[in-house]
Amino acid sequence: MSFFGAGLALILLAGLSAFLLEGHGRLAGGVFATGLVGGGVLAAWPALGLLGTMDSSLSVAGGAFGMDLLSAWFLVLLLVVGMATGIYGVPYLAKAHPHRGAGRIHLVFTILLVSVAGVFAARTVGTFLASWEVMAISAYLLIMVDHDQAPVRRAGFIYLVLTHTSTLALVAMFAAWTGGEAGGGGWTAPFDHLAGASDGPLFPMTLILLLALGGFGIKAGIVPVHFWLPGAHAAAPSHVSAFLSGVMIKSGIYGLLRVLMLLHPVPPPAWWGWTLLALGLGSAVLGVLWALAQHDIKRLLAYHSVENIGIILLGLGVGALGVAYHQPALALLGVAGALVHTLNHALFKSLLFLGAGAVVLAAGTRQIDRLGGFARAMPLTASAFLVGSLAIVGLPPLNGFVSEWMIFRGLLETGTLPGAVRIASLAVVGLALTGALALACFTKLYGTVFHGMPRSGAPGMARGVDAGLIWPQWALATACIGVGVLPFVVVPVAAGAAGAVLGGTVTRSVGGIDRVAEGSTAVAGAALGLVLVLALIGWIRWRRGSRKAARVGDTWACAYPRVTSRMQYGASSYAAGLMAAFGPMTGSRVVSHAGSFHVQVADPVLDTVGLPVWERVSQAAARLRFLQTGRLRWYLIYLILSLVALLLYLWSVTTTQ
Amino acid sequence: MSVSSLLSLLVLLALAPVLPGIANRVKSALTGRRGAPILQLYFDLAKLWRRGVVYSRTTTVIFRLAPVALVATTLLAAWLVPLDGTTSLVTFPGDLVAFAGLLALGRFALVLGALDTGSSFEGMGASREVTLASFAEPGLFLCFTALVLATGDLHLEGMLGRPLAAVWPAVVPSLLLVATSLFIITLAETSRVPVDDPLTHLELTMIHEVMVLDHSGPDLALILYAAALKMALLGSLIVSVLVPRATLGAPVALGVLVGGLLLVATVIGVVESVMARLRMNRIPQLLVAAAALAGFAVILLLR
Amino acid sequence: MHSFHELLMLLVVLTNFWILGTTRLSAAIRAVAIQGALLAALPLALDPGLSPHVLGLAVGTLVVKTILLPMFLLRAIREAAIRREIEPLIGYTASILLGAAIVALAFSVAPRLPLPEMESTLLVPVALSTAMIGLLVLTTRSKAVTQVTGYLIFENGIYVFGLSQMERVPFLVEVGVLLDIFVGVFVMGIVLFHINREFDSLDSARLTELHD
Repeated sequence: MSFFGAGLALILLAGLSAFLLEGHGRLAGGVFATGLVGGGVLAAWPALGLLGTMDSSLSVAGGAFGMDLLSAWFLVLLLVVGMATGIYGVPYLAKAHPHRGAGRIHLVFTILLVSVAGVFAARTVGTFLASWEVMAISAYLLIMVDHDQAPVRRAGFIYLVLTHTSTLALVAMFAAWTGGEAGGGGWTAPFDHLAGASDGPLFPMTLILLLALGGFGIKAGIVPVHFWLPGAHAAAPSHVSAFLSGVMIKSGIYGLLRVLMLLHPVPPPAWWGWTLLALGLGSAVLGVLWALAQHDIKRLLAYHSVENIGIILLGLGVGALGVAYHQPALALLGVAGALVHTLNHALFKSLLFLGAGAVVLAAGTRQIDRLGGFARAMPLTASAFLVGSLAIVGLPPLNGFVSEWMIFRGLLETGTLPGAVRIASLAVVGLALTGALALACFTKLYGTVFHGMPRSGAPGMARGVDAGLIWPQWALATACIGVGVLPFVVVPVAAGAAGAVLGGTVTRSVGGIDRVAEGSTAVAGAALGLVLVLALIGWIRWRRGSRKAARVGDTWACAYPRVTSRMQYGASSYAAGLMAAFGPMTGSRVVSHAGSFHVQVADPVLDTVGLPVWERVSQAAARLRFLQTGRLRWYLIYLILSLVALLLYLWSVTTTQ
Repeated sequence: MSVSSLLSLLVLLALAPVLPGIANRVKSALTGRRGAPILQLYFDLAKLWRRGVVYSRTTTVIFRLAPVALVATTLLAAWLVPLDGTTSLVTFPGDLVAFAGLLALGRFALVLGALDTGSSFEGMGASREVTLASFAEPGLFLCFTALVLATGDLHLEGMLGRPLAAVWPAVVPSLLLVATSLFIITLAETSRVPVDDPLTHLELTMIHEVMVLDHSGPDLALILYAAALKMALLGSLIVSVLVPRATLGAPVALGVLVGGLLLVATVIGVVESVMARLRMNRIPQLLVAAAALAGFAVILLLR
Repeated sequence: MHSFHELLMLLVVLTNFWILGTTRLSAAIRAVAIQGALLAALPLALDPGLSPHVLGLAVGTLVVKTILLPMFLLRAIREAAIRREIEPLIGYTASILLGAAIVALAFSVAPRLPLPEMESTLLVPVALSTAMIGLLVLTTRSKAVTQVTGYLIFENGIYVFGLSQMERVPFLVEVGVLLDIFVGVFVMGIVLFHINREFDSLDSARLTELHD
């Protein structure tokens, strides 16, 4: 277990040395990358060991931090994505920000990485909240790297407001939780002391569950509190975007799972499961719909994070419903599906952000409609991006399919059960719609960016992409393929971790892991079958073709002499049909008049709720401005008044001992 | 896996190109023309397979892979369906997701192939294809959900096989709704009137045909064959829902499948001859209606 | 000896009232000095065993609170040439009434505080009321010197509270006495810069610009 601490220390040290060696270019990068990988492997070792043996949990630092199966699952995905994105960051920052100190960005990046590890490994309320806050602040610093641009400052500010709202909700949640149990120990309370508190006047479960939804929901980017996410993720440097989308927002999912785990053995009420399911549906469908409307490649990917968080929530909702309706097998399937999708999304979303970063670096623009034809200039980036696209759409034989299959199974399985829980099977519609829209969105993205003809002449400059940008992408792509074709390795482990969340006994009582993993071998077989059939038909086709030389000509232009790049179907036009069909839900507005076509995009929630609410709050706050006298005396008077108020409160609520 | 299921698959693969021929022939007959021979597609495929091929200079390897991927995924999806009425070649819980996923993978490949050319018409076709698929997919899943609710089974083998036969009399109304919904989805997925007109000559009105404008020779043959196979596959779902064949014995079940598919093709032809193609922006409404029918079936079964 | 420390603490409260009621700065300083002496005697009364620790504490308190700081303060008013508090925010009678309310609140709340058992039941209410009266003086008076006495009283409250926890947190009180150095700095400031109004008058113009 000391490996874990040593690994994290090494990672921090790598960041520090990158900072100290700033200006020494290659040396700093090399030291940073080496330290990051060494530390990452070292820290992941005990987590992998725990997942491999599936037995007990470990603790470190006197019980302040520790690791159980749930922590280990998230730590593994954190470290894998952290290493890949961190290494990518070295050549990326050197190219993208040659004049801004890369060293300090690397340093803050490692702080972020370690603080997320702290969140996943925290074993007391205090260490959890402290890690949470360090995570929030270091992410803010990274979002603000390009602070000389106004949109970045705006995005950073929105993020800051929301992340602190989130922290506030969590502080309130833990206060309600520890306050209820006599001798809970307040901020130093180990999580174990929170476990198993039963609903009652001293333990307001409804309040706690609502606060957990709010606090963790903001961080995860659940609709309708998602609106910080697209701006912030688009504003950050690409490798940071990859880490934020891939890992940091998962801390919200981790928190919800941890709450579910700590409630055991008292089941959460059914409404919580239904709420999770409804929020998941809303986030998934609206997230992908809004993604479809985007023109900015990174904002598009960021909205897909909202969508995928929704899919994860569907699994989580099935899990919570399973617990609430005393269907352990269903609960296990739902939570395991959520865990696998969390891992998968971490892999393919960070992969996609890294690919987008390489394209943006080469093209100098994030506008999809000004890109095109990059597959010829950057074949390795393009093929890795294709793997990520197939994975995020949930197509076999990639990892996205495995987790969507599990979550679909969970939803459908509710239909085979008696009672009200059957209604959950209707959510299948939303997941199916999400999948189909994601397909539309990623064919739009991949097709426009990598296929066709260049729209701005930029791809020519993209030749000779730095290998340091390529192989982290391919490492992640390999992981995507690996999980996709070897689900029988990953799914049982996820089921084991899900069993730990649901309290161990569940796993054994229903034949647990085997039941969840049932079919994962067949999925692997089908994936293999797909590859074989593809190869066979491809071989037949190739045999046919090799006898006759193929001619090469222009694209048929339907009676025009030839197709020009300006004649290509643009991304906005591609999505226009769907935008029109879904109307105002998309938040976009088509502006077309003779010879021009343009889609204006906005975030409906940010514009109709977020900003007006913010406006009201600032106005109300302005009315309180008279309190700010600037005179020391008045501040002391406020102090006395609050002291008196607290004493009066104490007097009113307690009785003489 | 069983011999009869393998045999049924081979019959399906051989039979598939007949179905568009029948649909077109029926349409011609009903509109007072003679029409092309029923076996026309076989002739077309054979001819195209021998022809040379032209690639656009903007295309990448995806363009060449797309037809292969389309056939492979459709073929593999057929493995998951109990074509002989009782058993599939491959089965696992939730294989219906893989069925839809494989068809989606084929669509993904075809659409990317179309976008690879940089042609505005093919981009338009691809856009329409994914738009319509977005409305067809929820309907398809609602049909599957209804079958899961009816049978309590998550295997396609069970949803369309023996367990379905056991509960069939009790859930006939819902199954009729599901079959209607599946039929509309089949029309959309196989590019037939009133969603798409396979015989039109104006690129602006096309969906599927315009996507494959630049494919030629053997590549086009693969695409045409895959489309026919997809029609047969979706038709076999309709037949399985309407006629539970699990109790019939393998030879009869296979006969019912073939007869049913021919009937589905005929009905498609009839629909084509009595309806006009819908306006492009009305098509989503048709597909939403199909989903609503399946949703109604689900609600009937949830009671 | 039981009633002796209770008597001492009642006298502490009375000195509080004395400071609240007096207009003369020199009287307020004397009251603080007396309060310091009372506080120096308090640990002896609480712990009649006369351990070296307690003895050292008493002597230290006496030297700092009764001799050094009042001397400084008296010198400060001589240097700054101020005698009276002229424009208090709250009048003297009102201050005494408020003080009485504070004492009442402190005595009614103290038994309900979730604190461990201690030597005397009076310690906590006296500590609370002293600290709050100190804050009251600090905020309602406008002369710098009076504000320093307010701060001293506030700190004496903390000192009494520290005494109640002496068994459990042995060096709390000593740390409290160290805070007096801070007071020394205040007083030096008054002497050096001839401040004769409240502290914020010095920078008040700039401070009020602070709020946005």
